[in-house]
Amino acid sequence: MTALGNLATPLVMGVLLGGLYGLIALGLSLVFGVMRLINVAHGDLVILGTYFAYFAFTILGIDPILSLFIGMPLLFALGFAIQKYLMSRSFGISMEVPLIIAFGISLIIQNVNQIIWTPLSRGLTTSYALESFVVGGVRIPLAYLLDFIAALIVMLLLSQFLRRTYLGKAIVAASQDTRAAQLMGINTARIYALTFGIAMATAAVAGVFLGITFPFTPISGIAFLIIAFGVIIIGGLGSMLGTFIGGIVLGLAQTLGGYFLGAAAQMLIAYIIVLVVLAIRPQGIFGR
Amino acid sequence: MKVAIPGLRGGLVPLVIVVVLVVLPILGVPRAWLLYLFLFFVYLAMANMWNLLAGYSGLISLCQPAFIGLAGYTLVIITWNGLPFYLGIIAGAIIAAAFALLISIPVFRLRGIYFAIGTLVVPEALRIVFFLWRPVGGALHGGGAGYMVKGLAGISMSGFYWMALAIGITSIFLMRVILRSRLGLGLAAIRDNDNTAASSGVDVFRLKLYSFVIGAFVTGIAGAIFYIYQGYIEPVSTFTIRWTMILILSTVIGGIGIEEGPIVGTVIVVILHFLLARYAGLSLLIQGIILVGIMLLAPQGIMGFIRKARASRSPVTVSH
Repeated sequence: MTALGNLATPLVMGVLLGGLYGLIALGLSLVFGVMRLINVAHGDLVILGTYFAYFAFTILGIDPILSLFIGMPLLFALGFAIQKYLMSRSFGISMEVPLIIAFGISLIIQNVNQIIWTPLSRGLTTSYALESFVVGGVRIPLAYLLDFIAALIVMLLLSQFLRRTYLGKAIVAASQDTRAAQLMGINTARIYALTFGIAMATAAVAGVFLGITFPFTPISGIAFLIIAFGVIIIGGLGSMLGTFIGGIVLGLAQTLGGYFLGAAAQMLIAYIIVLVVLAIRPQGIFGR
Repeated sequence: MKVAIPGLRGGLVPLVIVVVLVVLPILGVPRAWLLYLFLFFVYLAMANMWNLLAGYSGLISLCQPAFIGLAGYTLVIITWNGLPFYLGIIAGAIIAAAFALLISIPVFRLRGIYFAIGTLVVPEALRIVFFLWRPVGGALHGGGAGYMVKGLAGISMSGFYWMALAIGITSIFLMRVILRSRLGLGLAAIRDNDNTAASSGVDVFRLKLYSFVIGAFVTGIAGAIFYIYQGYIEPVSTFTIRWTMILILSTVIGGIGIEEGPIVGTVIVVILHFLLARYAGLSLLIQGIILVGIMLLAPQGIMGFIRKARASRSPVTVSH
């Protein structure tokens, strides 16, 4: 019975952590779904959001979650600018060019963070980030529960936005058929920039909750990019539910991997799952 | 298209350059110069192979650090078992090539950008593996799980330099041979239109696999030579995206998919390293900005730009 009790903790934590992973993957999935671009700078943009919250928290004294009122518009503007001034010009050249540009952006962000914040590991150590509570004999850190709730809220809002608003419908239309959308009078270049902006706004939210949950360094972005990619691979594209399930699979892989093989191996399990899923079903388990 | 016979066109000038490069250490050139030339040839070999993959085979491989690191660790295991270092270089290259064959099973099911991300996972996973796994016992060195390379007593800077020179020149020659062989012609057909190539009897999968394995083998040799010079290896600085950055930058600045591209690009990258050596973080930042700038302004790089300028000036347009 005690063994089962011990196992309950990683199970619950894995599911909750899955929410955070789904949240991180949301922006990547959106950009890929609409523009067919795998934004390899996504992880670093998430970490940029984390560092902004860190700046607001330690220097301005603003709570990280409240700082999102500034952080989300800032990252939205950055995403809009990246698409409008860099990516949009590259789409016409070849398939590799946008990828290499995203790679360049990734390096720029990493090194800007490194110069400003040094390579030291940091964390958003708010008063509530360290608290935990007990449910049915399982001790759960409050931060994990907050991750899950935030992920639910963002996913719900985003799916309602895509389904109900004119702009949301235009984004869906552009992702389904660019030509047809253009013929219907949709300015796809503008839609692309807005999509990138929205994706980055979700990245800002993901960044804050990541910082509350895990310590981070300027190069943490790559690890979270791979996790986000894994979430998309498992969950398939264009499905909010799939993204959520993909997040939970990777969250469970990490906590159970850590439980059975030790903390150092937990990310390795997640990476191996990504490679195995790629080998078996490159279009994703829930993909069409 | 004009077909040039490899090695004959302008055969004398390259020969003279190679001879001068070989005798350079004997002429008493400063050690710093040899070091920069050493880095140039190691990077050149790796960049040539990345150009073969990304520029000619449509494989944007982000797992080159895996080949470099596996060759480095193989070198360590060989030298720790009392075997000579040159066996380590060969074994390292073979392990890198075998590993390329192994990971081709999952990643070759992916196309284009999916392939890039699939390969990005590999070095990240290997970094953790080499943190956890200690292939040979002994004292820790470096950031947690590092090893010294043994059995290097008696090799001077000139020795390191000659090894790098050998692999650098070999990689140039190899590219000439590959691109003019059946493999190169098949790759060119795939690059122009893979469906047409496949229906004309070109085995797309096999040709791409050949260039992936060849790329891993040569990158492995260059990697092992680098770690012979460095004298130690540890996971964090080995399985790092910085290697990928160097290779992409060298290829892209010079011109991706152009044979001379990596040569020109690597010269510039090494000069940049030399100029920016004092500002480590800033150096990578500037390289990132250059990368974005080149891709937007001149996606064909310097050699592509020169070719275009020449083609527009001469009355007879030489199409490539």
